[in-house]
Amino acid sequence: MNARRPCPRCLPWLFAAPFLAVFVLFVAWPLGQSLLLSFQQTYGPRYSTWVGVGNFAFMLHDPSFWLALRNTVVIALAALVVQTPVSLALAMLLNRPGVRGRAVFRLALFAPSLVGLVFAAMLFSMVLERRYGLLNLSLHWLLPSFDTGFAWRQELPLFSLVLASLWLHTGFYMVYFLAALQGVPHEQEESALIDGAGPWQRFRYIVWPEIRPVAGFVTLLSLVGSFQLFELPWLLLDYSAGPTDNRGLTIMVYLYQTGFQSGDLGYASAIGWVLALILMAFTWGQRRLLGDGTD
Amino acid sequence: MTLSSPCRGYSRGFVLIALIAVLSSLAVLLWPVAKRSGVEFWVFATFHYPFYRAPVAQWNREHPERPVELSLQPLPALETRLLSALRTGAPVADMMEVERVIAAEMFIGPLDAVGFVDLTERLRAGGWLERFNEPSFSPWTSRGRIFGLPHDVHPVLLAYRADLVEAAGIDVARIETWEDFARELAPLMAERGPDGRPLRYLLNFWPAQIEQTEIFLLQAGGGFFDEHDRPALVTEVNVRVLAQLAAWCAGPSRIATDAADVTALGNRIRLEGGVVCSPMADWMSGLWRHDLPGLAGKMKLMPLPAWERGGRRTSVHGGTGLVISSNSDDVGSAFELALRLYTSPELSDAMFRETGIIGALREQWSRPVYDEPNSYFSGQAVGRLYIEQAPQVPRRSSSPYTVEARRGYCIALRQLVDWAETHHTYDRPALEQRARELLEGVQADLVRRVERNVYLREGGQR
Repeated sequence: MNARRPCPRCLPWLFAAPFLAVFVLFVAWPLGQSLLLSFQQTYGPRYSTWVGVGNFAFMLHDPSFWLALRNTVVIALAALVVQTPVSLALAMLLNRPGVRGRAVFRLALFAPSLVGLVFAAMLFSMVLERRYGLLNLSLHWLLPSFDTGFAWRQELPLFSLVLASLWLHTGFYMVYFLAALQGVPHEQEESALIDGAGPWQRFRYIVWPEIRPVAGFVTLLSLVGSFQLFELPWLLLDYSAGPTDNRGLTIMVYLYQTGFQSGDLGYASAIGWVLALILMAFTWGQRRLLGDGTD
Repeated sequence: MTLSSPCRGYSRGFVLIALIAVLSSLAVLLWPVAKRSGVEFWVFATFHYPFYRAPVAQWNREHPERPVELSLQPLPALETRLLSALRTGAPVADMMEVERVIAAEMFIGPLDAVGFVDLTERLRAGGWLERFNEPSFSPWTSRGRIFGLPHDVHPVLLAYRADLVEAAGIDVARIETWEDFARELAPLMAERGPDGRPLRYLLNFWPAQIEQTEIFLLQAGGGFFDEHDRPALVTEVNVRVLAQLAAWCAGPSRIATDAADVTALGNRIRLEGGVVCSPMADWMSGLWRHDLPGLAGKMKLMPLPAWERGGRRTSVHGGTGLVISSNSDDVGSAFELALRLYTSPELSDAMFRETGIIGALREQWSRPVYDEPNSYFSGQAVGRLYIEQAPQVPRRSSSPYTVEARRGYCIALRQLVDWAETHHTYDRPALEQRARELLEGVQADLVRRVERNVYLREGGQR
């Protein structure tokens, strides 16, 4: 008996079917649903009302949304302007020939990224505590006129977030840069040195072109991470403990408050879609600026 | 024989995994879910839970056919499960004790989708509306319907360090208003540290303390909503309170400091005498006895200073109530048990002794337990002091936008404090104009939020 051969046209679809099923079920369908939701006002599973572009129109005049967006952009910019260069600088320091205890430094700098956001939030809530926090006591020791009662988390919530984020992520991104720097050909650097190139010229024309794809990836990662920041503000700024001042509100915290505390899933979906568009725009800009690493 | 089955060409391992996947999926789909019998009861307050175990066990002996399963849920877990159940139709307990702000969140949709049983007629028929403290129903009432039984009244008094106040020769009987308070207690702030700052402040309050802000606002007769739950932030009272609270927290002669309740730092400040007075609800008096034993015998309570002579000397802070899920199969049993728990004199006495909480059933307020001297509060009859103020506790709105309104008011307060510091303007009258402008901004935002809710706009019905 001859086995019946499956139709050759169907075969690729058959192989792709498991992926397609999972993709449609867990990606395409929820995406479509959330897009529909963003044009509705809902209350539980039984009540939904079509509001057209009402959610998006409300967003335009929603001060909390703009505050959250502004805060998130500030955190993302801080990540780009402070975190990424510091990571690169640390990697370059560790990559210098003759550094003793390189493995120890690498571990020490990378270790914070192993502890996770929740631990970092708890730790920094103690470090930044009024009166008895490490930061205030240190500053008071250096400058006796500094008031140990200064409340960093309430008065400078964005600075507190950036500080905790810096401690947590710098080592992680440093490892990426370190790996990239170790791939830079030493012969080229030595040739440039012999030709009289200074440190900046060597970095600009030899090191940077080699590490640019990694820099692009790190930038993208840090950008997306900043826009997704949730656990750190949620715990560090006490949003988990109940209603609090909005000064450190981030877009993800606002999305969560709107969708899962106020129950306005339609508006939360609209915020989510705007966030996705902003991220796409940033990614496009980043690729334009740094290239996609293929050239 | 040549295999022509669909299995040909696939390894045995693959076939086995696929088979297990299919069979387990079918098992999950077809597995019968046992129907729960009896009543499931969730509580979040760790102080309440031990008191309910004995009455629930007694109930189960009396009603073996309708057993009650009592469980303690952390408040955030209870809130998440409750809101998820409401929004997805997931199962939830038959009866629950919930905090008043969480209950308010359930009132955001149409009235017939609140998720709690409307108890109005049952309460009216049993005469319970008159027997319970009337203002205590307000957090459980939405659009004229009552959805919960109040557990407590939570009047607020002013706790003060009697050892410090009496050592300074200050007579608190001379304090009737907040102006008197600042004037009479001012000598306690005279002592300065090496940096020139006062060693102690008079009042535990800070703009970040949202609940304390609401205590003062409600005491003054202010609030966030009118009687129809419409946003009403820009009122004379709200403006005046906002300006006064900012004046307390700003400038070189501020009288307030941040010793937040239930925090390690706040407790340390209290133990060190860094703050003299704290607004204290009945439940907080019980909490201090557990958390701050070092202050035993050093504390006393007095009515809150009023905002004007002859004004209200108390406020309200927090609130728990018992609600019955509209999905419950046995509403009758749940209501019967709720009444048993909330009207039992023995339970009420025991709970007061342990937690300091005054129950909402007024006929129990004459019980001798409330006249017992309390050694923590220097021998005062703490229960009686709270009960004297209980009938005056202010009503509260149950608007689902309470959280937003409270947050908005506190943001305005913080902005006003910043403005005062920047402009070196610390007098209340001078702050009032700016306070009004800030509240107008909060009001406009809140109105827009409320007005876009089509379910409330349509009169609460689908």
